[in-house]
Amino acid sequence: MASYMSMGEAHRRITEYLNRFADVVSYQDGTSLKHLLSLSSESSSFLALADALNLFQDANRLIRQADKYSQYAEIVAPLFRAMQSYRVGHLAESYQAFEKSANAFIQEFRNWESAWALEALYVVVYEIRVLAERADRELASNGKTPEKLKAAGSFLMKVFGVLAGKGPKRVGALYVTCQLFKVYFKLGTVHLCRSVIRSIETARIFDFEEFPVRDKVTYMYYTGRLEVLNENFSAADHKLSYALTHCDPQSEANIRMILKYLVPVKLSIGILPKRSLLEKYNLIEYNDIVLAMKRGDLRLLRQALEEHEDRFLRSGVYLVLEKLELQVYQRLVKKIYIIQKQKDPSKAHQIKLEVIVKALKWLEMEMDLDEVECIMSILIYKNLVKGYFAHKSKVAVLSKQDPFPKLNGKPINS
Amino acid sequence: MMNQGVDGTITALDPNSVERLAVDPSRGQAPSYYVPSTGSEAVSWTTHGAANGSIQNGIDSSSSINHDQYAEPHLKNIQDGVTAMSAASTSNSGTANVPQEYASYAAYPGADTYGYGSTAYAGYNGGYRQQPNQSYPQQQSNQSYPQSAGAYQSTGAPHQPISSLQNTGSYDGSSSYSTTYYNPADYQTSGDYAAGTYSNQINLWNQGGYASYGHQYPSYPAETNGAYTAPSAAAIPLQYQQEHRQWADYYSQTEVCCAPGTENTSATSKSSLGCPVPAVTSVYSAPTNQQVASSAPTYWVPEPSTLDVPSVQPNEVITNVHDEHWKHGRQGFQNYHANSLQPNIQKSLDLNSAPVSFQDYQKPEYPHGPGLQYSATHQVPQDYQPPVQAAPQTAVPFDSGRVSKVNIPTNPRIASNFPMVLPRNDKPAMGGATEPAYVSVSVPKPNDEVPLHVAGDSVLKPGVLPKSLRGYVERALARCEDDRQMAACQDVLKEVIKKANADGTLLTRDWDTEPLFPFPNKGVVNNDPLNHLTPVSSLLKNRSPNRRTKSRWEPLPEEKLREKQITSTPESLKSSGAIHHNETNHQFSAGMPRTKENKFGNQKFYVPNQKATNRTSFRPAKRQRVGDGVGGSNNGDSSSDSDKEQSLTTYYAGAFSVADSPEEKKRRESRSKRFENNHVKRSANSHMQPKKVGDGNFYTRRASALAISKIIDDGAGRAVEDIDWDALTVTGTCQEIEKRYLRLTSAPDPATVRPEEVLEKALVFVQSSQRNYLYKCDQLKSIRQDLTVQRIRNELTAKVYETHARLAIEVGDLSEYNQCQSQLQTLYAEGIRGCHMEFSAYNLLCTILHSNNNRDLLSMMSRLSVETRKDDAVKHALAVRAAVTSGNYVMFFRLHKTAPNLNTCLMGECKIYSTGQGQ
Repeated sequence: MASYMSMGEAHRRITEYLNRFADVVSYQDGTSLKHLLSLSSESSSFLALADALNLFQDANRLIRQADKYSQYAEIVAPLFRAMQSYRVGHLAESYQAFEKSANAFIQEFRNWESAWALEALYVVVYEIRVLAERADRELASNGKTPEKLKAAGSFLMKVFGVLAGKGPKRVGALYVTCQLFKVYFKLGTVHLCRSVIRSIETARIFDFEEFPVRDKVTYMYYTGRLEVLNENFSAADHKLSYALTHCDPQSEANIRMILKYLVPVKLSIGILPKRSLLEKYNLIEYNDIVLAMKRGDLRLLRQALEEHEDRFLRSGVYLVLEKLELQVYQRLVKKIYIIQKQKDPSKAHQIKLEVIVKALKWLEMEMDLDEVECIMSILIYKNLVKGYFAHKSKVAVLSKQDPFPKLNGKPINS
Repeated sequence: MMNQGVDGTITALDPNSVERLAVDPSRGQAPSYYVPSTGSEAVSWTTHGAANGSIQNGIDSSSSINHDQYAEPHLKNIQDGVTAMSAASTSNSGTANVPQEYASYAAYPGADTYGYGSTAYAGYNGGYRQQPNQSYPQQQSNQSYPQSAGAYQSTGAPHQPISSLQNTGSYDGSSSYSTTYYNPADYQTSGDYAAGTYSNQINLWNQGGYASYGHQYPSYPAETNGAYTAPSAAAIPLQYQQEHRQWADYYSQTEVCCAPGTENTSATSKSSLGCPVPAVTSVYSAPTNQQVASSAPTYWVPEPSTLDVPSVQPNEVITNVHDEHWKHGRQGFQNYHANSLQPNIQKSLDLNSAPVSFQDYQKPEYPHGPGLQYSATHQVPQDYQPPVQAAPQTAVPFDSGRVSKVNIPTNPRIASNFPMVLPRNDKPAMGGATEPAYVSVSVPKPNDEVPLHVAGDSVLKPGVLPKSLRGYVERALARCEDDRQMAACQDVLKEVIKKANADGTLLTRDWDTEPLFPFPNKGVVNNDPLNHLTPVSSLLKNRSPNRRTKSRWEPLPEEKLREKQITSTPESLKSSGAIHHNETNHQFSAGMPRTKENKFGNQKFYVPNQKATNRTSFRPAKRQRVGDGVGGSNNGDSSSDSDKEQSLTTYYAGAFSVADSPEEKKRRESRSKRFENNHVKRSANSHMQPKKVGDGNFYTRRASALAISKIIDDGAGRAVEDIDWDALTVTGTCQEIEKRYLRLTSAPDPATVRPEEVLEKALVFVQSSQRNYLYKCDQLKSIRQDLTVQRIRNELTAKVYETHARLAIEVGDLSEYNQCQSQLQTLYAEGIRGCHMEFSAYNLLCTILHSNNNRDLLSMMSRLSVETRKDDAVKHALAVRAAVTSGNYVMFFRLHKTAPNLNTCLMGECKIYSTGQGQ
């Protein structure tokens, strides 16, 4: 299409864009403005404009022609350059230019009294993150150091500073926060989230509930993930559940992302998901684990962990899932107890360690008495089993009342 | 009269070579000076004469020999300079009787000096060794001639240097060498300072019993005497003015030495009969003016008055002055030692040669009389200059001057201000002469101190004597506060060294660890830090002579001077210039006891003044340094590597110094002290391999590194990122296997850094060592430091870190382990091979058991490759992790038992922790 575009056409498109930009800003039409700034939307008009720019090399002259345009030259000129680079696939350069443009935009935004341009700002923030990620991919494939996302992170912090104060613009802070989360999680610099979280949660000027729902969900999702990492399961459960309940039911991908963390959290507090849920959201990697917990099948648990180790490690739930082992032991002992009760109810509460060792052997888990004894003592210690321990006779004596207390939504050992 | 004649010759010469021109002026001046000064000096010198006599005895015969020998080398080395010298001398001779003598004189010396400086050095040393006592004196005497020649030359050199730094550099180098022998330095002084010193020297020489030479000289004195006393008062002012003009001209026409020189000569000639002294003074003042442009004028005004005063009470003053000078000289020497010991970069070099020599001077030299005295005189003149120029850093200037390179100081000045050149000429000549004088002094010293070893000069010493011994000597001397202590110290040192030499342990003994002998005197023993302080004070005291010159200009000092002069004996008459000369003479007499007494009083008087002057004059000193540096860099063959290095470092130091405030300087001085030891060592090394090619490069690198460190210190200069670290990466030269770890606070010194091969040996050594962890840790850290400093990153580096990490694990030194581990991570990431698996396992274990950071653990586990997971150690670590997370302590302890490598140790470390966590 570029080849078919005449010079006049290119000129026309560029001036049209400039006109629209100037008009939109003067009318304070945030919605329209955001379309003008959306780089990665790759709309036909945008592509055409980019082609026009590549054809008509001297766009800056046009910008400078009229006062109407030139007052936004600092925004538009780099933006044009970003478009050009983007069109030809030079993402790193595109990012560079776009960040410059975004900086100028932030300056303008700061000066606008009302928050009319929040929509546009969102677009800018989003674009800068996405562009940075893509630029980094490009850089990495070229063997260069990917650093754009880092730069985007610091830029977003700046934007956050612009929004975080009092006033109508504060509504936008959570969006930026979420974008920051995304950047930080991607970069693996999760610890940087803390300062942002603090400023969101400690500022009482603005009620959390007044933020847009989508931002709240995203925010809760990320903070929930952070809690998972910290093995703070109660808080994680709360946040992720909040995210789940407020998430748009239509956006299954988002729900899946939430469940990815919520399931392990729920498992660790003794709540097992239905198989249908896992299948609906394509979380079948948890199937075996749930099954293992139901059956007390230690081998299955380990197999499942091993099978999906990479995935679990990447998502950061591996250690959480690994800790389910104790619940599997509990389930195993409980099953033994039930069987014994069926055989001889009077002696059902006395479980010989030998039996457990044998059971484990059937599972092809080679553990000796000492190890089993150790495990049993930990089960008792963690309050997964009620009872005491006869060391000499190698017998675990279970309580007659509720020998296997349920977690009931409380984390182990709390 | 004579001067004029000279002038003509000079002018003719000028076109051909700048050097010659430069030389000529000085010569011209010198003759004139001689006349007046000789008379007065003769008197004062007589006393010395006795002392000198002994020295000279040998001299006469030897002197001739020396001349012959050296004449040849001379020719080679000396280029235009020699010829110029001869030419100049001849021209001078035409003017008057004295000049004739002078000419001959000059010719001799010139040859000698050159020979000494360049080629003959070695020969000298050898000769010294063989016949230390006799030969030395002879040489000295000879030298004295040469010195004179040297002085001339040097004067020429300074001129050139001004115009072109390189030239000066080379000259300096030669001059410095020659000077050492030539102390004739006096000669130079005479040149510089005017006739006064000159005449003195002549007298000395005569006394010395230079038969042939003596004739001529005596005649000189006689003539001079007549002129001497009378004119001083009246003539002086005139001269001053004239000189001023001349200087101004010089400044303006730095390169065009001829014209100025001629002017000067004429001026001097006029005054010369009347008062050579004034001329001298004028010279001094001139430099000051140039150096401190603003201050200079003021100085001038006062001068006349001061001059008058001297003339009125010439004799008395002179004696006093002399004494004082002596004292000063001594102190100066001592100070020098101290200073040298202190870490100034320049000083350090100086120290090597200077300290020893100086000591010798003070003690035994007196027999050498002439040589010593000369040196002393030289110093004094130098001192004078320094104070004016840079009073605050008196120590520094002194050092430079005293040390071996009077030239340098002067040159620097010149360098800093081209206009300064003319004054320089005088001074430079002085400097050149003086330095040599110092050197020569040093030569005798070796004999005294280490007769057995090698008579060798300071230069020789480095090669012959273990550097550790030199360090020892320096350490010992550093404790000395004053002359007496110094002398006592030297005596003891001599004994020690003699003994060591006698039982053959001199070279084998570990002088570094040798305890210092108890302080001979009950006086205060200074520790190094104290020494540093003391030197300063002593320097201030020393400066007093310098100040005198200045003080003359200033009201208070003048009065004091007068008083002193009055009290002093009436041996010699002096115009103000004469006083200077006398002072130099006094130095000669320094051997004599009285000087000491006088010292203190004088010093005290002048201290305040000095301070004031110091501040104003501070800047010049720095410039001097710069000049030195440049000159040094250009020295080429003539100067030793150490010289080069020193000059470079000084150059950089000077070049980069921005702030001129005294505080700043002090800070810098103290900072530079840190390098002192290194310098000493390095200079020693360089002496061992004086002509090593490429050293210059190496030194420049080092110097630039120093400079950078300075910049960084100063916070001025370039940003750290702008520094080209590649260019600064050092390559070590240290060959010692063992080395204690010391955290670097400055640019690394290649002399203390071990190259890779040595480090390899060191690693093996440490690995096989039976000593405890603390020792090994220390050794390994020093190895690591050397590796880092040299930016070596290869298998050896990995090995060192692995070794250290293992040791640290064994002992449970987690902080050290973590350092190594983090380094290893980056090393492995760079693809350097090592025990990657083993340390991955350690890393895992450490994270599991110590940091308890889930996120780190997760990322670490996710980064483990499939192959890594198959490794036994890693498997074990993962099993441990599983056991810990599941709380399977039985398993944990079983794993503990079967742990590969050092996993056990790490697990043992965490046992308490993990069990604690479990409950």
